[in-house]
Amino acid sequence: MAFLPFFGRNFSGSFWELEKMRSHMDHVYNALADGFNQIRRNYTGVFPLVNISEDEDNLFLTAELPGLTADRLEISIKGETLTLKGAKTQDNAGDETLNYHRRERQAGSFSRSLTLPVKVKSEDVGAVFKNGILTVTLPKATEARAHQITVQAQ
Amino acid sequence: MTQTNQPEINVQEKRPLDTGTAESTSSEPRFSPQVDIWENDRGLTVVADMPGVNADGLSIDLNDNVLTIHGRIEAQNPGKKVLTQEFEVGDYYRQFKLSEDIDKEAIAATIKDGVLAVSLPKMAPAQPRKITVVQA
Repeated sequence: MAFLPFFGRNFSGSFWELEKMRSHMDHVYNALADGFNQIRRNYTGVFPLVNISEDEDNLFLTAELPGLTADRLEISIKGETLTLKGAKTQDNAGDETLNYHRRERQAGSFSRSLTLPVKVKSEDVGAVFKNGILTVTLPKATEARAHQITVQAQ
Repeated sequence: MTQTNQPEINVQEKRPLDTGTAESTSSEPRFSPQVDIWENDRGLTVVADMPGVNADGLSIDLNDNVLTIHGRIEAQNPGKKVLTQEFEVGDYYRQFKLSEDIDKEAIAATIKDGVLAVSLPKMAPAQPRKITVVQA
């Protein structure tokens, strides 16, 4: 700031105070912004993220769960609420001889409940786990399926 | 089963592949897989989460000390109406620069449950050789 000497010592002193205040505000602002991002992230999803699609007779739910196995997954359905539960273990937990360069993959437990858009036949729900992707097929209840109504010509 | 003492997993959004200034010619999304890389005295191990990829869809190559991992996902069956989409589906691609002391001939890879593991053994250090002098 080339103009600073122009104001003399007292002014440059108060500028210093202002500058300090500004940097403090930046800190506060950044901390708040992080907080907002956190809220946004929690708002958009709970692990695992799911995609839901449908055809005429079924609902299909898919979730990406790399590293999980079928026996460590628990799926339950009660009314229109589907619950996915499971746990992913950390590789090499407690192995001191390893030196980690990157650790981006997460381990831990998860539990997610979601409300299905239509009633399903809970006794006919099937789930397949393949290549790290869980696919749950939920046959729609008879009352939730579209019925073709024939229009009678008179 | 689910242990209560384990931390809960947070959602990690898939990271779109950063292609720098070069644009991809295809409009299909591509992702940079999440990896763990660890080293011990025998070598390096790269573990990547690539859900939806099987052994046939995977190509790994090493060129000029750059390890390229490319996983192609199986084609999605169409004819379904999407109701909720929380994650995108696409191929995986990531490159790593390796140090010189990797035994390139001995690199091995396996994929199981959507997790790729590449083992990169270190070159065996040159064995000290003792030369016996024969009395002529």
